[in-house]
Amino acid sequence: MSDETERAELLAALHAAGAASEEDEQELQRLLEADPSLEEVVRDFQDSIAALASSFEPLETSPKTLGQIQKKIAKEKGGLFGRLRSWFSKS
Amino acid sequence: MAEARPNDPVDLVAAMAAGDSGPPLNAFYAQYASTVLALLMKMLGSRAEAEEILQDVFVELWRRAPQYDSSRGSVVAWVITVARSRALDALRARTRRHGNDQMQFFSQKHGLGTESGRPDVLVSSTRWHQALRQAFKRLNEDQRAVLELSYFLGMSHGQIAEALNLPVGTVKSRILAGMRALRTMLPIIQRSMVA
Repeated sequence: MSDETERAELLAALHAAGAASEEDEQELQRLLEADPSLEEVVRDFQDSIAALASSFEPLETSPKTLGQIQKKIAKEKGGLFGRLRSWFSKS
Repeated sequence: MAEARPNDPVDLVAAMAAGDSGPPLNAFYAQYASTVLALLMKMLGSRAEAEEILQDVFVELWRRAPQYDSSRGSVVAWVITVARSRALDALRARTRRHGNDQMQFFSQKHGLGTESGRPDVLVSSTRWHQALRQAFKRLNEDQRAVLELSYFLGMSHGQIAEALNLPVGTVKSRILAGMRALRTMLPIIQRSMVA
């Protein structure tokens, strides 16, 4: 594995693990622009860590929670953001 | 003709992106809420706070649905990313209020153990989930520690190096090795589920 490939993989791993510094993120963005195939490496790492994070024993949510979410969304839909979103989704 | 896929996550996100907060949102919530709540509980340790953040996470997912791009990752990865980000915000706010005791809090109460026996744990925890947790436990202890600190506590490699009194290069190497190991384990687990 070349030094460049190893470096790109390290940056992708740090990014997916949430440990990248601002400089790392900027370097990764530059490498992604130069070599879009690196996106697959980033995606693989992200899917791996997300699978792990979604592996905890599922917990039963409160029966009220969904209703509260719907209320908040209904409020947003009635606001400026909701009207803009509706306009953009139709255009 | 394309086959109808009821409750396909990508279709549900597309419906939400079009502004539908009815049945698609309900189905989306039914698929992911218990998983997200489990992650929030692991990261925050407080049921009340986790339930509150759960609401914010789903409102944000609905709001950001138009930006979801399936070519850049799975729906579950997107959901987990948003949930983790909101949980880290809450942890940072807590740290500002109470000081930096998160690492000790996490290691004492929230390592990646099993929650079996809790009354609110759903029976739907699958072989897949159990296999993933076992896979994580099979990681080298050093690799597991740095991944827990980075992913679940949001610490940068510099902060981890300082906290564990290690050279930054060592922390980076352990993160890379741990991520490679996880990436290798996933397809093996997937194949074992099919077999």
